[in-house]
Amino acid sequence: MPVFYVAFGVVFGWILSRSGAADYNYVQGMFLFTEFQLYGIIGTAVVVTAPGLILLKRKGIVPSTKPQHRGNILGGLLFGIGWSITGMCPGPILVNLGEGKLYAIAALAGMLVGAGAFGSLYPKLAGPLGLPQIKSK
Amino acid sequence: MLILNQLAPYHWAIAGAGIGVLTLFLLAVAKKRLGVSTGFENVCSLVLNAPYFQRESLVSSHSWRLPILLGLIGGGALSAVLGGTWSPTWDLGVFDALIGWGPVGKVLWMFGGGLLIGFGTRMAGGCTSGHGIFGISNMELSGVVTAICFMAAGIVTSNLIYRVILGV
Repeated sequence: MPVFYVAFGVVFGWILSRSGAADYNYVQGMFLFTEFQLYGIIGTAVVVTAPGLILLKRKGIVPSTKPQHRGNILGGLLFGIGWSITGMCPGPILVNLGEGKLYAIAALAGMLVGAGAFGSLYPKLAGPLGLPQIKSK
Repeated sequence: MLILNQLAPYHWAIAGAGIGVLTLFLLAVAKKRLGVSTGFENVCSLVLNAPYFQRESLVSSHSWRLPILLGLIGGGALSAVLGGTWSPTWDLGVFDALIGWGPVGKVLWMFGGGLLIGFGTRMAGGCTSGHGIFGISNMELSGVVTAICFMAAGIVTSNLIYRVILGV
């Protein structure tokens, strides 16, 4: 049902576009503590999602969880630097691209190269970072 | 005001509640855990043969992660069109006012930042959506740790650029 997921992405992208989450100035305002907007958004999203997850789990819908490893720390730090530099996290890179912001093309290219490099280096990084083993198909 | 067509942004409570509802909707209806950055691995797996990109759990998620990425682009485009006009732009707000690089400088800056985002989110196993919103809501230690790290790094980097170097 690709149409369902495309539609989901459109609605999600619309909210990111219209809320400031995909806006360089609001992202800098968050990191510089001059704008509350994005803290309010992330905080409200968590406050809405957390109790909903408890209810869904009671109904037997149990989501997968993400593993803990040293990559959470080092990867999180690298991502944070990139988020500040570009003013975009991964979703908003695509939203900005759709909005016609031309610099998002460069961020997207960098993101894909960075993800490609990580995957190619995975066998070397997995040990030192304690990353999970991959199951090939 | 947003850079996009000088629109006023939604109130944070509305936008945040909307994202929360979407997160729950995706899980309840499609049994999928919201997360954007893994989708970039799906794109990589279309052209890269490294075992990491051909793992079963990734390849089997093409059918839903790739359409969401396309939808995000579409949502941005629709938002621009219905919000006044869609027109290609290099407008980068406060970056233009205080740093003022042209397109070539911006492309290099954005590519460098993108490298860190791609490498970092994949190393961490998620980004703002999967680790930040979903992980914290699900009270996962990996989500809390990752979110603290990316927020701290972003705060330090932006303060270094704008307060320390540019002295704003």
